[in-house]
Amino acid sequence: MKLEFYLNNTKVVWDVEPDEYLSHALRRHGILSIRIGCDETVCGSCTVLIDEKPFLSCGVLAMKVEGKHVTTVEGIQDEANRIADFFAEEGADQCSFCGVGFALIIHALKHEYKNPTDEEIRDFIVGNMCRCTGYQSQLKAIKAYLAAEGK
Amino acid sequence: MSLRANNYYKAQSLEDAYAKLQENSKNAIIAGGLWMKKTGLSYETLIDLSELGLDKINEKNGHIHVGAMVSLRDFENNPLINNLFSGATAFGVREVLGPAFRNSATIGGSIYGRYPFSDVIASLLPLDVKLVFYPKQEMSLEEYLNFKGKLNGILEEIIIKKEEGNGYFKKVKATALDFPMINFSIVKRNNKNYIAIGSRPLTAALAVKAMALADQGKFKEAADMAAQELQYLDSINISKEYRQDLVRVYVRRGLEEVNK
Amino acid sequence: MGKNFKVVNNKTHSVDGHAEMMGRAVYTQDYEAPGSLVLKMLRSPHAFARIKNIDTSKAEALNGVKCVLTYKNVPHVAFSRAGQGAPQPSPIDKFILDEYVRFVGDEVAVVAAINEKIAEDALKLIDVEYEVLEPVLDYKTAYKSKNVIHPEDGISQAFEMGFRPKDNVAASYEMEVGDVEKELAKCDVVVEHTAETQAQAHAMLEPHCSNARLDEHNRLVIYTATQTPFHIRRIMAQTLGMPLSQIRIVKPRVGGGFGGKQQFHCEMFVALVTLRTGLPSKMVYTREEVFASSYTRHPMCITMKIGADKDGRIKAIDCYTLSDTGAYGEHALTVFMIVGSKVLPLYNKVDAVRFGGRVLYTNHVPAGAYRGYGAIQGNYVLESAIDILAEKLHMDPVELRRKNSMREKETSPIFEIMGEGTKGTAMIMESCKLPYCIDRGAELIDWKNKYPRKQVGPHKVRSVGCAIAMQGSGIPFSDMGSCAITLQDGGFYMVRCGATDIGQGSDTLISQIVAEELMTTVDKIIIYSSDTDLAPFDVGAYASSTTYISGNAAWKTAIKMRERLISEAATMLGVKESTVEFDGKKFVSGNKEISLFDLSNKLIYSAPQHQVAVTESYIGHVSPPPFMAAYAEIELDTETGEYEVLEYVSVVDCGTTINPMLAKGQVEGGIVQGFGMAAKEDVLYNNKGQLLSNSFLYYHIPTTKDIKKLTTEFADSYEPTGPFGAKSVGEIGIDTPPAVICNAVYNAVGVRINTLPITPEKILKAMKEKAAK
Repeated sequence: MKLEFYLNNTKVVWDVEPDEYLSHALRRHGILSIRIGCDETVCGSCTVLIDEKPFLSCGVLAMKVEGKHVTTVEGIQDEANRIADFFAEEGADQCSFCGVGFALIIHALKHEYKNPTDEEIRDFIVGNMCRCTGYQSQLKAIKAYLAAEGK
Repeated sequence: MSLRANNYYKAQSLEDAYAKLQENSKNAIIAGGLWMKKTGLSYETLIDLSELGLDKINEKNGHIHVGAMVSLRDFENNPLINNLFSGATAFGVREVLGPAFRNSATIGGSIYGRYPFSDVIASLLPLDVKLVFYPKQEMSLEEYLNFKGKLNGILEEIIIKKEEGNGYFKKVKATALDFPMINFSIVKRNNKNYIAIGSRPLTAALAVKAMALADQGKFKEAADMAAQELQYLDSINISKEYRQDLVRVYVRRGLEEVNK
Repeated sequence: MGKNFKVVNNKTHSVDGHAEMMGRAVYTQDYEAPGSLVLKMLRSPHAFARIKNIDTSKAEALNGVKCVLTYKNVPHVAFSRAGQGAPQPSPIDKFILDEYVRFVGDEVAVVAAINEKIAEDALKLIDVEYEVLEPVLDYKTAYKSKNVIHPEDGISQAFEMGFRPKDNVAASYEMEVGDVEKELAKCDVVVEHTAETQAQAHAMLEPHCSNARLDEHNRLVIYTATQTPFHIRRIMAQTLGMPLSQIRIVKPRVGGGFGGKQQFHCEMFVALVTLRTGLPSKMVYTREEVFASSYTRHPMCITMKIGADKDGRIKAIDCYTLSDTGAYGEHALTVFMIVGSKVLPLYNKVDAVRFGGRVLYTNHVPAGAYRGYGAIQGNYVLESAIDILAEKLHMDPVELRRKNSMREKETSPIFEIMGEGTKGTAMIMESCKLPYCIDRGAELIDWKNKYPRKQVGPHKVRSVGCAIAMQGSGIPFSDMGSCAITLQDGGFYMVRCGATDIGQGSDTLISQIVAEELMTTVDKIIIYSSDTDLAPFDVGAYASSTTYISGNAAWKTAIKMRERLISEAATMLGVKESTVEFDGKKFVSGNKEISLFDLSNKLIYSAPQHQVAVTESYIGHVSPPPFMAAYAEIELDTETGEYEVLEYVSVVDCGTTINPMLAKGQVEGGIVQGFGMAAKEDVLYNNKGQLLSNSFLYYHIPTTKDIKKLTTEFADSYEPTGPFGAKSVGEIGIDTPPAVICNAVYNAVGVRINTLPITPEKILKAMKEKAAK
């Protein structure tokens, strides 16, 4: 089926299947930054932004994004680069299969909260699993990043 | 097995959606569409309601009208909902996985599925909640939960009576990304206590006898009654007995909380 | 201690994190060849069955299906999927595909089709007639059961490991130092403690995946998410009867392994399909397959008997272990032996110690390598038993540990007796700061004031618990790593190594080690690893071997490179080598000098026009254990049994931390993974042997909300045999949480939970039983 939407601010027209989820459609069209960890709407690795809000792309049928703005990490490269600096600084990047999802959820966190508390940060990123780090270094990196961006 | 469907249809009106739904028994309405893939079913046409303006929350005559396609995230963040029962209703919905999941999941999909593990249903059950279906049909949330068989209509709107009072929500879980092992939703409105207990593992229900005891200020007795009057079963990850232990603790604590 | 380091032991960003986080094509799935066939597996619905008939004709006839594999058309050769060295210390008990299926989810047939939907449709068209057999679902009664899981011919062991398939025994072992019975009889106090562990899932975020193609010379090239590329190549070549030279295994970035990717998963199937069809192919496990059809941690039932005199001197330890290897014997013997060899030496001042038991086959998901590898199971039971003993002795458990645990320059006879499936290697603890770790951890958690508990509310109690642990650093005389460094024109270094980065950061720390020795910075190092065509041999990422073995190999190579550079510079400057000083950037001899930049260019383009390249290998002669002490403070609801961890303190001796932040990440990641096993990760089977906790919705790994605070410190320690004083740090972190949580819960409410995970329901039930007494 024909699907028209905005991918990282560029209008695209794709041919997708009626039963195809966005995560698969994106990867099929070469957006390899989509990491599919569970494909069952839990782990958060495949997070994308739809109209600036975070969504699990494995839980959104591709046809649902008709006319919408979809942002993948390709669309926030500068910011992802800065976030990666803070992750590296804290040693919060191990296998980083979760990293793209974290970059996008942190982007969304920054938009939705001015000065999030510790608890608000934990609640907001709770759907992004990481099996490597124990989360502590990531939380530190996120706080440091938000503090630096707030300046 | 991945989800299978041959067509995707964006409905232009509820009438249109309903007509499409009647066309073929293998047609289905999609709400958030998150867990369609988990059903392992094949569909002919998936019917999308997202262009019907059902994603609004409005207040009319002391009632909050919530469109069925309102996302859980928008629901929990809406000031009208946040102000209900000391935030307990919003809090209960916020217990469902992470925000990226709740941006997809809809209030209508969460209710229509009558999932026994639903935190959304448990949160809403102690409130005065009406469901509006297309074609025109109305019933309370409790009636819907007890309704036998499959409803033919499309859930259009959820109407919550705006009332003052305290609320309490507790989900017992292994981690934040778990289904509830059991959940408790308790509110005090109109000077009466309402106690809903879900994931027993049966669908949420009101503990009516316990509510009557609670209204007499007998919280401990009410909690004991709640552990008796509703049906509790063993699940593979939690026993019936432990569920009942939790009822005795959390119903008492919840009643103490909402009666402060 | 040691030297004044410039690069190692200093904060260094990972060399790969940015590429991963910015979404670049880095993982196995990103390297699929265009037009790859999609592989899907038909899996057994039965825990134990024989395939009486299998008809694939309808599936093969389906348009778009290119190939269907069953046991009838693949080589009938037994192999071990364990991904270990040679001779393999695991039973050779798995056929590529077999007429028997031995667990729900076992492999029946592979379909390769032009897309996923057709592959899925084809699976439904395969008719299988099963003779359903009675499964063995409890390893404690599996021994000599009338239901034999491996009755077939053609399976074997590479050396004597007690492999007795007709008795359902995959491996067994026993050893004794001194006379345990006699010593226990002499003890003032003897405690006996039995506890059980569960089949924890690795739950790495990247699912198992591989893809294959034939290159322009028809060589088989496989990209795969593996921890052991060289072992995969060797075992695949042997099993498929191919020359090793015709196979290339490439490991891209890997999205977590934790032992789960040491074993074979998709590799053999993509290889067969691509060889048969000539077409590229790919296979990605679903999350359900990762849970239900790969590998788990070995569940175990362990009994520890400990005897001490009345002054708290531990005199004898007796350990008996039953282990459940599931349907196949991957790592059956070696994980089981670690329960003894990397746990019991903690208390080395004993007069007698005994270890024995067996590893049983069952019709459950096979167990395999998993971070902690037997040590976490043994640690849970031993360190619980130590607390029980302390209580009997009326001693503080920290004091009891301090008094009896391993110290520097000491040893244990176990090291020499028990190795990785074979005899071990004697060694003295050249570095062991365990006493410091114990004291410092106690100070950080404020043990003195918090032990054992404090009531903080009508139904809330806070308590503390502790445990100590050790691990190893590679397998002596078995694990080998190698490294090759070439000086490039432009004055930078190309480092190729076999060390397998699976997210733990080995590319980063190898770069640091080379940079330190060559007195340069990490940006002057270009590292390429784990490609069997282009990198030198390394056994892979397992057994906590990377920092110590691969790191030593890199260090050795870098030292050699430095010597070569000085020699080249001396020749070029026309001076004696001994007069040349090198500071990483230039070579100086008296008033003559040449920069590295100029040297590198002249070497290539002027005279003598040759490439300066060195290769070295390292094989460990000892396996210096890292040590740690761990403490947790928990808050427990006495009405519901629910608890949360307020703080987890770890003080670790891993020698020099090559990369302090990554080392901390290894410890903390291990702690939280171990905490998952201790508290959250319930493995649920139904009575037909089907795994129900086969999804992240039903199997609960820790989230951001589950531990409030981790405090992690490293002891000042230097291991003389390690690279720049380093020991391993990859596994040690995971070992303590089960015992620490168990002890903390006991200290809170006086009940000891002897099956993992330690759930609120179990706690409350035990509290009620205790109150009823």
